[in-house]
Amino acid sequence: MTALTMTARPAEDASLRPVPWRRMAWVTWRQHRIALTGVAVFLGACAIYVWINGLQLHHAYAAAAACHPAASPACSALSSGFHVGAFLLNGYNLQAVPALIGAFAGAPLLARELETGTFRYAWTQGFGRSRWTLAKLVPLAVLLAAAAGALSVLLSWYYQPSFAPRNPALFPLPMSTFAATLFDLRGIAFAAWTLAAFAIGALAGMLIRRVVPAIAATLAAYAGLAFAAALYLRPHYLTPLVTRNVFRYFLSPPGSDYVVRQWWTKGGTTLSQSTTDQVINSTFTRMMPVAHSSREGAVAALKQPTNVHVFHYLTQHGYTQWTSYQPPSRFWPFQWIEGGWLFALSVLLIAATIWLVRRRAA
Amino acid sequence: MNVVEASGLGKRYGSTWALRECSLTIPAGHVAALVGPNGAGKTTLLNLAVGLAAPSAGAVTVLGGRPAGSLAALDGIAFVAQDTPLYKNLSAADLLHLTSNLNRRFDQHYARARLAELGIPLKKKAGKLSGGQHAQLALTLALARRPRLLVLDEPVAMLDPIARHDFMATVLTAMADDGVSVLLSSHVLAELERVADYLILLARGRVQVACEVDDLLASHRMLTGPAAEAGKYAQWPVVHLRSGEAQAHLLVRAGADDPVAPGWEAHPVGLEELALAYLREPGAAALPGPARSRHADVSEVTK
Amino acid sequence: MSIDKEVNGQPGGRASASPPAGGGGKAPARPGQRGPGSPIEFRLDPGSGVPTYLQLVHQVEHALRLGYLKPGDQLPKIRDVVAALAINPNTVLKAYKELEVKGLAAGRPGQGTFVEATLSQIALPELTALGRSLSGWLTAAEGAGLDEDGIVAMFTSTLRDFYERRSGSHTRGGAADRGTEGVA
Repeated sequence: MTALTMTARPAEDASLRPVPWRRMAWVTWRQHRIALTGVAVFLGACAIYVWINGLQLHHAYAAAAACHPAASPACSALSSGFHVGAFLLNGYNLQAVPALIGAFAGAPLLARELETGTFRYAWTQGFGRSRWTLAKLVPLAVLLAAAAGALSVLLSWYYQPSFAPRNPALFPLPMSTFAATLFDLRGIAFAAWTLAAFAIGALAGMLIRRVVPAIAATLAAYAGLAFAAALYLRPHYLTPLVTRNVFRYFLSPPGSDYVVRQWWTKGGTTLSQSTTDQVINSTFTRMMPVAHSSREGAVAALKQPTNVHVFHYLTQHGYTQWTSYQPPSRFWPFQWIEGGWLFALSVLLIAATIWLVRRRAA
Repeated sequence: MNVVEASGLGKRYGSTWALRECSLTIPAGHVAALVGPNGAGKTTLLNLAVGLAAPSAGAVTVLGGRPAGSLAALDGIAFVAQDTPLYKNLSAADLLHLTSNLNRRFDQHYARARLAELGIPLKKKAGKLSGGQHAQLALTLALARRPRLLVLDEPVAMLDPIARHDFMATVLTAMADDGVSVLLSSHVLAELERVADYLILLARGRVQVACEVDDLLASHRMLTGPAAEAGKYAQWPVVHLRSGEAQAHLLVRAGADDPVAPGWEAHPVGLEELALAYLREPGAAALPGPARSRHADVSEVTK
Repeated sequence: MSIDKEVNGQPGGRASASPPAGGGGKAPARPGQRGPGSPIEFRLDPGSGVPTYLQLVHQVEHALRLGYLKPGDQLPKIRDVVAALAINPNTVLKAYKELEVKGLAAGRPGQGTFVEATLSQIALPELTALGRSLSGWLTAAEGAGLDEDGIVAMFTSTLRDFYERRSGSHTRGGAADRGTEGVA
């Protein structure tokens, strides 16, 4: 049937050097080029959106900030052209980026091999299954983290106006540099979260062995971790500073500082939250002027106690306000801490994935 | 050299033993057929031999003592799993390049020439090939690695008769050309005699027979005689008894020189009939034949 | 009807059982495939019950008898036989070794296996005499009540006993021409 003869078998290589690592570069690219191109296109689209939006917002901000006097109708018109809400909203959407990358690039990596049975081909080749896994996971992880890092540089530029000396008309609600959207989109946190998401995805794929459930599990696990980190871990990376009787923190958003906790004491004992609320409300009521007639009512309206009055009344009557907070100067130390533990977690997860690959029975 | 040596090999999934106390020695230069009903443990044994599964008990070494699954073993063994899994969205050319990158040895020239001969287009995605072409592609990738041992898990189950014939012709030609040994699992008893010269019968996770086919056939006979006298042979190792009212057939372990009682006829047995008889009697087992390595020096006579 | 029921292979005379070359049907059949080497091609009858290697041996002997093969001719290369019939190369090797033992063929290292001798030709008058005595026996058998199948069964079992008595261990294993299923 065939006249094709094989050439003589090449001599056995007694040293049995393993197949060189660089060969896997082509393999990884060819097998995952759809996922990689998808990620590139996705990040590119995000970047373009941020760039275009950012340019427009920066111009509007600059125009409004340069306008004097701030309260004049012309300047008010300019400031209304600066959409604070839209400016901030993008942050919430962009927080999903690392999760999506981890889920769609990381989870199918091993899950698809196991689901379709192609691991029976891949893991019986001369390259060896642990080296094969390592050679796929590490370069992809580095690549994705680098791409995310590049995007976060762009995002830092985008959010610049919120940290510049600001015009209160434009930013009625000052924002803390540790606010959820701002912190993990800038610095090295964005790249670190992408790396962690990818590592979670890879491990989930190996554990669950089916693509769609692995993607779902990755998204869920990432969301859980991100919320837990923002709520419980991040405020405590370094011991918060404590200060007392700072009016700025009373019943209003704390500005650029990040308030961890606030509590009141009287005579050395800490008051519970309900007691504190009660005291504040009764003080307000006591300080309300009594109105007898409508004209007196109008005058009384002018004399309604403001927060300042209540605050001074309380502090002068033996109450002390305590606040623990994180100052904005700690932004970069926090970034390194968060980046550090995320990196360590990623390394651990990838190691666990490889360990599972080694011991997995067919 | 023994291509596969197992001693006390066992594999457990949860609380079920898929394979137990498996000891066998497959010499090189043979086509070893692994036969048994579904669930007998054939795929488990093959997975253990190629390193896709780790033993729960005992050990298995390949290609003269290399631990199964080690890099040295992977280098010399090519495996084609059931349903020949390949990446469906890669073309044949991509798969050639892929396999070439994942192995130390790859004969590109042979692979391309073989695919051209078979009429398998290089640019078409593997998922779009016919069943026969898909199987031949997987086989080509395996053979182009120039392995010492080719392991096939039910390779022809899904193929039509012509595709099946072509597939086996390719495997056996590679054996003739390159001296590669073959270990394959099969359902199809009828084609065994043509192809196999070492037989392993598995039933319920245990090895019933592990022996060279020539030795096996030489050591069994089918005795035919009066049913009433069937008890005469109770002393002999009787593998299988089929009896009508007047006449009985006994498959016994006996050689050509063993005496036959008067009134009885002794015939040699064919491989298919013998295999079926053993599979019908899960309790019967033939002691493994001596591990003589019959070096069929095929490549010398060819040219 | 031919006496040699289990001996197959009339090369060139009937349609070959080997499949056309090429899995996809694209490569044309190759008449020159047997190469400049061998005048004959093997075929295989899987249902006959005769062991494969014996079928090959018989085909060579038959070809010798009929003159298709002469001393000095090359037997088909092992890999060609394997490629065409999808049989184990060790089987072909076994057949060729059997022919060597019988003195009919010999292997030349690096070149192949070649026919060495021919089967003894029987002179025509002897053949005619044998044929006539056989017809006589057939008439007697029919007269005794044996039908065609009975005649064949009796002949093959007597033939087997004849050779078994004569050759002993030389034909152990599957060598005994197994033409009959159990006698009813």
